[in-house]
Amino acid sequence: MRYGMVIDLKRCVGCQACTVACKSENGNGPGIMYTKVLDQVSGEYPNVRKNFVPVLCNHCKNAPCQRVCPTGATYKREDGLVLVDHDKCMGCRACYVACPYNNRIYLKRGKIKVGYYGKEMTPYEEVKYAEHQDGIVEKCKFCSHRIDEGLTETSCVQTCPADARIFGDLDDSESKVSRLIRSRGGRQPLCEDDTDPSIYYLD
Amino acid sequence: MKQSEMVAQKDYWAKSACKMCIHTCAIRAHVVDGVVVKIEGDPDNPGNRGKLCPKGQAGINRLYDPHRVKTPLKRTNPEKGVGVDPKWVPISWEEALSTTAEKLKAIREDDPRKLLVSINDFHRIHIWGWGSAFGSPHYFSTVGQYCGAAYHPTNGILDGAFAAINDYDHCKYWIQIGAGDGFSAHLHLASSIKRMADARVDRGMKLVVVEPRMSAGAAKADEWIATRPGTDRAFVLGMVYTMLYELNVYDAGFMRKHTNGIHLIQKDGNLLRNPENNKAMVWDTATDQARDFDAEMDVQDMALEGSYQVNGKECRPAFQVIKDSLVDHTPERMSEICSVSAETIRRIAKEYSDAACIGSNITLDGKEYPYRPAAVNYYRGAIGHVDGGLDALAMKLVNLVVGNIDVPGGHLGVGLNHQQLIIEEGEDGMMKPQPHLLHPPGNFSAKPDSFQMIEWYPIGIDPGHLCSSNIMDPEHFGYDYQPEALIIEHSNPMWNLSQTPKVKEVFKKLKFIVAIDIVLNESSDWADIVLPDLSYLESDLLICIESPMVTGYFYRRPVIKPLYDGRDATDILSDLAERIGFLPNWNGLLNFTCFLAPEYHLEPDKVYSNLELTDRMAKSIYGPDQGLEWFQEHGHATRLMRPDELYMSAAQKGLRIPIYFNFIKEVGEDLDKKMKAAGREWDTSSYLPVPVWRDSHPLHNVDPEYDMYAFAFKEAQSNFSESTTMPWIEEVISCQPIHLGVMINGKTAQAKGIKTGDVLKIESPFGEVKGLARVTEEVHPECIAISNTISRWSRHPVGKQRISTHFNQLLPSDVKWTDGMTGHLETATRVKLSVIAE
Repeated sequence: MRYGMVIDLKRCVGCQACTVACKSENGNGPGIMYTKVLDQVSGEYPNVRKNFVPVLCNHCKNAPCQRVCPTGATYKREDGLVLVDHDKCMGCRACYVACPYNNRIYLKRGKIKVGYYGKEMTPYEEVKYAEHQDGIVEKCKFCSHRIDEGLTETSCVQTCPADARIFGDLDDSESKVSRLIRSRGGRQPLCEDDTDPSIYYLD
Repeated sequence: MKQSEMVAQKDYWAKSACKMCIHTCAIRAHVVDGVVVKIEGDPDNPGNRGKLCPKGQAGINRLYDPHRVKTPLKRTNPEKGVGVDPKWVPISWEEALSTTAEKLKAIREDDPRKLLVSINDFHRIHIWGWGSAFGSPHYFSTVGQYCGAAYHPTNGILDGAFAAINDYDHCKYWIQIGAGDGFSAHLHLASSIKRMADARVDRGMKLVVVEPRMSAGAAKADEWIATRPGTDRAFVLGMVYTMLYELNVYDAGFMRKHTNGIHLIQKDGNLLRNPENNKAMVWDTATDQARDFDAEMDVQDMALEGSYQVNGKECRPAFQVIKDSLVDHTPERMSEICSVSAETIRRIAKEYSDAACIGSNITLDGKEYPYRPAAVNYYRGAIGHVDGGLDALAMKLVNLVVGNIDVPGGHLGVGLNHQQLIIEEGEDGMMKPQPHLLHPPGNFSAKPDSFQMIEWYPIGIDPGHLCSSNIMDPEHFGYDYQPEALIIEHSNPMWNLSQTPKVKEVFKKLKFIVAIDIVLNESSDWADIVLPDLSYLESDLLICIESPMVTGYFYRRPVIKPLYDGRDATDILSDLAERIGFLPNWNGLLNFTCFLAPEYHLEPDKVYSNLELTDRMAKSIYGPDQGLEWFQEHGHATRLMRPDELYMSAAQKGLRIPIYFNFIKEVGEDLDKKMKAAGREWDTSSYLPVPVWRDSHPLHNVDPEYDMYAFAFKEAQSNFSESTTMPWIEEVISCQPIHLGVMINGKTAQAKGIKTGDVLKIESPFGEVKGLARVTEEVHPECIAISNTISRWSRHPVGKQRISTHFNQLLPSDVKWTDGMTGHLETATRVKLSVIAE
């Protein structure tokens, strides 16, 4: 069992519904984005090419963040999710530096005490920011809480109007993600480290 | 489930309908201990199928916005102006309503026309007529500028539709011109994105996007073709020329069977009529004579081309007239106008007409339909211009030529509400033109009564942008009164009208302003009284707006108890109608606008609650067993449309649709006569039956010192209303370069010595603004493009830009810059740029 995500760059229209769904689902305060969509533009007018590229934690099989974590706070579940145990994290940020994809976020002390309108929180902020801790490192959890509830999709996948994000078991050769990777030639965001990411892009 | 039972639960999902743009995706809200913690698309709905755009999800931001109006407010600072603190104090509902009613009652008794009305909440179209029930004819706001004064009437004239879309399920070659369908805006965005992605990726549909800026759609397209603003008509007419004169490809069978292309037209452009019975006539090639359009003859024998003599009069079939009218619209000439090469125009015309599969059929649900899987879709960018009516007709014509109207794969009409397309029998075997599906037309009068002059735009939709010019210069058209008060409901005329300095002057004149809204904005900052509405997540409504492929009412229900001391806007307006003394007029209007069946009509002198009204509306449309309780138990009444509802609506009733728009010509001639009789000079030259290019277009004849074109745009994050004061949206757009400044092409910027981050002075002939330069390759070299996300200046703390670049300040607001046929404002302009700081 290895959860992973296929991101179909042909389908993605850069609407950022995933970005907002993630913020809403996870109660991420100002400046905290587990996922976002990058606008990548190349070429010169009129031969311009623009791509919308969603990025998030790659839940690498060989995760550098996990290797460098001195407390064991970053760990890997049997289903492939790379998670951070907030109680064990001491906020040293070794993982933040080690992540080749820049997909980790450090929550400064006091960060979760300040909402979009200052210290006076909205009812939503009061409920949702309490699920976070400050002084630690956070990142995309592949919506582990949803998976543990038996849901089959992360929040970003659930909302994506273009169905550009597909979630499933990379180890199951008949899963939709595996079939798409085969038929469309899925590409992992590789880097010098042999990270073996669980995100595959379809060009 | 009953409302009280639902909200008593500790943890529940409540189904409702979104209102973060003008459309209505189905949503479900997760509520825990009374707090909304998540909004998702409703997975059971056949429209958006669980999907939701970023704005829909950010509805939580709006619900819990600390700057919501929580109680009625009274202004205590008599000074009014931009940035001036109104010094609000909370007051009771009784004080707020009685003060408002007293002021408005006095105006109504004096002259009801002294009240300006800015009520254009698109979800509550049933309350738009509150002003007319009061006795005021004014529409001091704009809708048409943002969607399509030139778009909707022409859809209604073509096929009884309010909107239009290409067939997502069957189209294989989609040309998109100045539109965001399937990517960034319009007609239920979340469901449209899904359908468009399926068509592009799963079915391999080819997409060509034509517009001066590389939008999300252009980025995903197989081909992006950049035009000059306001010249898309030239591009498509060049295509039509290629098809008619060079490729000789058009759907003659469709034209003979389903359009008025066969009607004989006289030299003056009017229909040839049988003098004995006044019937339109056609040329029968079997007997070589003109015959009544409904005479027994084989459709194949009806002439589309040629020139004939009938009773000594020369006449030609309408299709021949169209062809002849376009004889000089060569790709070379059109290329000079729109800046797209003649070669590209020809190639696209060839690809499009090849893809249309003229002559082929498809069987759906056991019934055979013509199959035309190529279509041109368009929206405001293409038609928001002077001569916008002709722009829209040209877009229709390029579809009509391949016979794709309302057939699988083609260009489909979309209804405004549950009535879907309005197909009624008109004259000459034709469908009756329906330019006024939103509300009834204004009646002609020799002197305009309304400041938006709707009396002189018989096909148009509320050119509200004209109000400020007419109020500030009343003598010009002979207004003998001045406005004294303004009522605003979910509208922002200070921001949405053009030539803002003039709008400010109007606001300064007004002695009393009352605003109904949930958050204060640029306009309500000038109010004397503010009345808090309920948010969409706290209120009841049945709503069905322009839903493609899906029909039936969405049920907006309160997902939680109201947070504050607000009241539903419908209830507020009913209360005011009673206090002011026109309740019978108001209730009579609601009977009509809520589709109430006679047995559910409102008594004239009784105030009905919004809930009672919703219940009566539900029962009127769905029967006595399907009132409000049914909706509370079952949720939405939406379903996918059947093929026989989607396709061939007019043909099923044996009615033809126009390819030659003689209706428009006749309306123009009628107006011309009335104007001449009234001694008025008025230009009716754009009321043409065939769309042609007209070199007289003012946008392209501006003093050359204004050497650049300028236009505004929106994307999915800023689609229609309620965008930039929501933190999640603000955060998302602040990561996107297109929303960070004024877009200017790299080579142009280099030639002008402009760098990213420079502060620009942007001057049009009508106003000036500042903006931060953003050098990019994603825009036509002759243009600057300005995101609507950088346009706000309200006192709300979220969405404040370092420099507010409010595009509307650059636009005109007078008759010269308004489309004669439809009342659409010219929404592009010309500017000159200078760097004022680096």
